Amino acid sequence: MSKNSHLSIFLKGILLENPVFVLILGTCPTLATTTTVIGALGMGLAAAAVLVCSNMAISLLRKVIPDTVRIPCYIVIIAGFVTLVQMFVHAYLPALYDMLGVYLALITVNCIILGRAEMFAGKNTVGKAALDGLGMGIGFTLALLSMATIREILGAGSFAGIAIPFLSDHKIEIFTKAPGGFLVYGIMIAVVYKLTHGKAPRKREFGCEGCPSAGMCHAGTCAKEDA
Amino acid sequence: MKQHLKTVLSLTVICAVVSVLLALTNDITAPIIEKQQNEATNAALAVVLPGGEDFEQLDISAYELPATITQAYSEKNGGYVFQMTTTGYSSGFVVMCGIDAQGKVTGATCIASSETLGVETTYGASLTDATLETIDGVDTVAGATKTTQAYRNAVKDALNAVVILGGGSVDLRDEAQILADNLSAALPAGEGKFTSVFITEELDSVSAVYRADNGAGYVFVSGESFVATDAQGVVTSEAAEDVKTLIAAQAQKLLSVTQTEIDISGYADMPSQVQKAYKTSTGNYVFELRAAGFGINGDEWYNPSGEYIYLRVSATAAGKIIACETVSQKETDGIGSACADPDFYTQFHGKDETNYREIDAISGATITTNGYKTAVSKVFEAIKLLKGDA
Repeated sequence: MSKNSHLSIFLKGILLENPVFVLILGTCPTLATTTTVIGALGMGLAAAAVLVCSNMAISLLRKVIPDTVRIPCYIVIIAGFVTLVQMFVHAYLPALYDMLGVYLALITVNCIILGRAEMFAGKNTVGKAALDGLGMGIGFTLALLSMATIREILGAGSFAGIAIPFLSDHKIEIFTKAPGGFLVYGIMIAVVYKLTHGKAPRKREFGCEGCPSAGMCHAGTCAKEDA
Repeated sequence: MKQHLKTVLSLTVICAVVSVLLALTNDITAPIIEKQQNEATNAALAVVLPGGEDFEQLDISAYELPATITQAYSEKNGGYVFQMTTTGYSSGFVVMCGIDAQGKVTGATCIASSETLGVETTYGASLTDATLETIDGVDTVAGATKTTQAYRNAVKDALNAVVILGGGSVDLRDEAQILADNLSAALPAGEGKFTSVFITEELDSVSAVYRADNGAGYVFVSGESFVATDAQGVVTSEAAEDVKTLIAAQAQKLLSVTQTEIDISGYADMPSQVQKAYKTSTGNYVFELRAAGFGINGDEWYNPSGEYIYLRVSATAAGKIIACETVSQKETDGIGSACADPDFYTQFHGKDETNYREIDAISGATITTNGYKTAVSKVFEAIKLLKGDA
């Protein structure tokens, strides 16, 4: 049972609670970095690394961090890890650093990471938080990768920079632009909804019941905070 | 109270720990990042200075370099790379050029440009191998004179900068500045403001005359020397006696002349180019003319702007041109506008009806040149008309 629940923590991030397609978090980097497969992969892995590290650190410190200043603490920890990743990428993968540009630094304010810190890591043990971070990170990476694959193949006629015969002569350039990004994003959300139909959290309405995170959120927290 | 203290303390500790971690990481990655950036810069610099090694950026504020130079790098083998920002035809461009230890341009390339013509992307190749002695001889590109001149001047600035960095000194003044300095040296009372005098008399050995705007006197340019006189034409400069006598005589000749306007409305055959005519007390003529250049004639691709070129010509009664100058023009900037350049219009000096056509045309501006020549030719016609009447 325990083993099973650990596995489910890891797996739910990949599809059932995929941060991009189900939780609709991190939309900005999703649209911005999915024009190329390499960029998407780099972005996904960088975010995943930060997610695992920050989840573990926050889970470790969850008893130490006072409730009133938890958000500033989370942000400091996340920003610290993002800067670490940024420095390493700049030093060892300069090409990727140039490709991701400002979005690398913006992982700090990526709501997936703060969202997982607030919703999961702050309330669970280190092991579970690490698994959650890993699952969510892989889910984020896969989501970016799938979108980037579609956008790069159709929009630029190539995959990971390698030109595909025929398609490279018939590019549909809109896919590399913002409208194409929204188009693919919307379709992917629909497909994932269909695949997980009945299992994924439903968005009934705005508020606690409609919140996709309501499943793991202590019901009524929002209401209390609002009041 | 204890709760508050805990809050502050824990946040402070977390921040401190994170800062220490970041500092440690930065210690590891900073040298690697710097090395990479140096390599990237070196690769870019090696494009204009092939074989260059160990580039090092110089602090250019420590030297009095030409103003166009924005960055300078030295290199192990004695070469330099400069980056210049220059204005061209429109908003300017950025040029990078390499110069080897022998003072020879090894390469020049335009790294950023908002020019309209695109010539600046290729012109650098023709400057390769130029030296300070030869660079003025490199041809500019017809139709893009301003852009290519700016490019050439920028690279020349870089060649000058090498001399300065090597401890030498360079005369960075342009022609206008040299003239202004010479005039001020000859006549300090002129306070640096001089206007060229339009010469209506045949003067001996005097090529140009300038009048101080404040009325302090005149400067006569004779060969290489600048001789000043006061407002009455008395020589004030130190000079040999014979030169003084010569200049004083020229000054008297020029300053005693008066002009009277001739009413040309009575001449039905007067060419339309002639706007006004004057006769001097010495019997010479001065004409104000308008020439139909590109602004009037245009060509099949270009709608004319409707603007004439206005010029002034003085000539003897025998029909020999004494002086010619462009008063105003609105020809195509950078092409036909060269008709306002003294190098062009002073070619007419001393010419007469038989040889006035033997001047160098403005390259790329045939219509402007032809219009100008036609206007000048009307001077000879007008003189005959006026003399016939007199």
